[in-house]
Amino acid sequence: MRFWTILCCLVLLLVGSTVYAADKDTLVVSVSSDIHTLDPGVSSDNYDWRQIYPCYDRLVKYKVENGKGSTEVEPMAAESWTVSPDGLTWTFKIRKGITFDDGTALNAEAVRYSLDRTLAIAKGPADNIGAIATMKAVDDYTLQITLKNPYGPFLQTLATDGASIVNPKVASHAVDKDLAQAFLAEHVDGSGPFKVVEWTRGQRCVLEAKPKYWGGAPKLKKVIIRFMSESADRRMALEQGDVDIAENILIDQIPALEKNKDIVVNRYPSQMVEYVYVNCQNTKLSDARVRQALSYAVDYKGIIDHVLQGNGVQMRGPIPEGMWGHRDDVFQYTRDVAKAKELLKAAGAEKLELTLIYSERRATWEQIALIMQANLADIGVKLNLELMSNPTLRDKIDKADFELCLGAWSPDFADPYMFMNFWFDSKNAGLPGNRSFYKNDKVDELVRKSATLSDVAERKKLYSEAQDIIMKDAPYIFLYQIQTIVPLRKNVKGYVFNPMLESMYNFEAISKE
Amino acid sequence: MSAHPLLRELKLTLRILARNPSALIGGAVIVLMVLLALGAPLLAPFDPVKLSLAERLSAPGAAHFFGTDELGRDIFSRVLYGARISLSIGLLVITVAGVTGALIGATSGYFGGRIDNAVMRVMDVVLSFPSLVLALALAAAMGPSLVNAILATAFVMIPKFARLVRGEALSVRELPFVAASRVAGAGHGFIIRRHILPNCLNSAIVLATLTLGDAILIAASLSFIGLGAQPPTPEWGAMIASGRKFLMDQWWYATFPGLFILVTVIGFNIFGDALRDVLDPRIRR
Repeated sequence: MRFWTILCCLVLLLVGSTVYAADKDTLVVSVSSDIHTLDPGVSSDNYDWRQIYPCYDRLVKYKVENGKGSTEVEPMAAESWTVSPDGLTWTFKIRKGITFDDGTALNAEAVRYSLDRTLAIAKGPADNIGAIATMKAVDDYTLQITLKNPYGPFLQTLATDGASIVNPKVASHAVDKDLAQAFLAEHVDGSGPFKVVEWTRGQRCVLEAKPKYWGGAPKLKKVIIRFMSESADRRMALEQGDVDIAENILIDQIPALEKNKDIVVNRYPSQMVEYVYVNCQNTKLSDARVRQALSYAVDYKGIIDHVLQGNGVQMRGPIPEGMWGHRDDVFQYTRDVAKAKELLKAAGAEKLELTLIYSERRATWEQIALIMQANLADIGVKLNLELMSNPTLRDKIDKADFELCLGAWSPDFADPYMFMNFWFDSKNAGLPGNRSFYKNDKVDELVRKSATLSDVAERKKLYSEAQDIIMKDAPYIFLYQIQTIVPLRKNVKGYVFNPMLESMYNFEAISKE
Repeated sequence: MSAHPLLRELKLTLRILARNPSALIGGAVIVLMVLLALGAPLLAPFDPVKLSLAERLSAPGAAHFFGTDELGRDIFSRVLYGARISLSIGLLVITVAGVTGALIGATSGYFGGRIDNAVMRVMDVVLSFPSLVLALALAAAMGPSLVNAILATAFVMIPKFARLVRGEALSVRELPFVAASRVAGAGHGFIIRRHILPNCLNSAIVLATLTLGDAILIAASLSFIGLGAQPPTPEWGAMIASGRKFLMDQWWYATFPGLFILVTVIGFNIFGDALRDVLDPRIRR
């Protein structure tokens, strides 16, 4: 008897992972790297938002039109809203009857507390909602927000992760006036359709559905996010049915997946870009000529044609194609070894040795790193490569403790602010967005001014002028804009991709047949 | 016949070895690997670090005997250059570990008593760790680089040599000529150098040959997990590590460096086994 019990346990252990994915109530997603924090007021990483976003409600949410994610928003926790003619005063009517898990009501004060908390923490998400000047709860369910200046994408910014509505009771968890950051880094306390019930570092994060969610019970009971650093492992798990969705599969392995009749490979045009942060504060890289030389060294065409197999285009300026403000005529670096050497010579940096740090967040990064190593060797720069875990990498970025670093970025709302202000405004230095620690007073002035205007033509002109300066200063090596490829098992229904919600899923609407 | 006694000894050893089939095979493998390593610049059709993106992941064929990797580098050329790296790593590790270990062992065995006890307990502590795990921890602590991987591997190999040599030293020091030497007024250093160490040489050489395979394997394992050779160095372990990601569709990438590790390590092991048999005085005469 005991023998059989033990045997059954062993068998269950062995097939454990398969059991999950075969279960119709449980969705398993395999992703490349562990998450960093669960605090919506702190995180500026889509990989964290993947877990945070479904645990909270926001005032508004992105619409889904004909099965496609839109960049327009519709009511969520806000029932309706009005805006004053000058575009400065927004009045939101909050939906009644939404409660947090402990029964606390989601009301105007909760929204005010949450937005205020994000602004007070003043990390990356604060910049998303930075247009807010003051907030006032007019009554229990009416919130009035006054802006510093009219701001076009204001409503969309309220759909971003940083505008998540947190239970104001978390204040009781605050330690040393940290606004409960220590608590919310590892816990969630929201009114969204899911909650995080487990986060085992390096292993997995488990979300559990709330059957009593005000917007209707999610069809799934559980979502398991599994951290698997190897693309080949993710692919194998997907093919075997151990997982339902596999992120970030090497493009070389996609054709094999497309042949598998149990798997659907979806391709979406996205505004996701990959680029290299060049730390402008580092003494070796403070000379713009050195940074230009690096930009001239990279074999963009080779990378796109062969490593990406054409699933991408070289970036032209910082703003991706498909976003207004993108310029077809802005300067673009192409590989020119002679020119790069000349620039290094002029800058007196012929014996340069640099280190590129990267993680396995994107499956292609190792190849990109190796190619850059060879490309830079051609111009006489010795490049050391250092692979590290994604959370470690992000800590280093925030502390400017690197020389070169591979990165990816996707917009959270459809406005070039997402690129021009996040990447170049010197007050966003570090993880919030200006990850090259770039500082140019003229650029600061241009992008800040553009952010305060509502006239699109005028804003375009300012951003355009800034782009010309930026391309000369070369604070980043602009690599490419890619297509997002999401392979999932055929029985997964209801997934909607939104380029504003890269790597994030509408778990509440997904079901399994 | 006025040949040096050492030379005569060597000739005898070689003759016995030549009659031993496994020694022949092992020896042939080692000779072949050494030749490939030395001849790499002449034999390799391509520069091992030159990218050729247009040819990435092409299957083995006339142009690329072992195919190409994810950056279009010729795997055959990389494997040949890898032989240089792996063999040098093996030799370096064995030299460092052998010399250090022999010195520690001979000193400890010769003096005996408390010194011996203390030294051997330290060696036991090192031995009590699985060697790969300890090498891993050391390499990780020192930071990823080839030199550190060599040092870490050498460190975990030291006790093997120390113990062996110490055992020999214990018996050698009781032999009459050591006593005679001491009576004649020789110092400790002289006796260790002239009497103890030379008499432990045979077994140390066998152990060196036997451990060379292990050393190559451990160093390759360190490179495999990224603690050893850094890119773009064509080290076998590192090549398997990156090839593993493509194993499902491009079998050749990880397979060829893997085969080379396998053959080299087996070669050293069977040769070492044969050498042990040959040098065993009971079999010898």
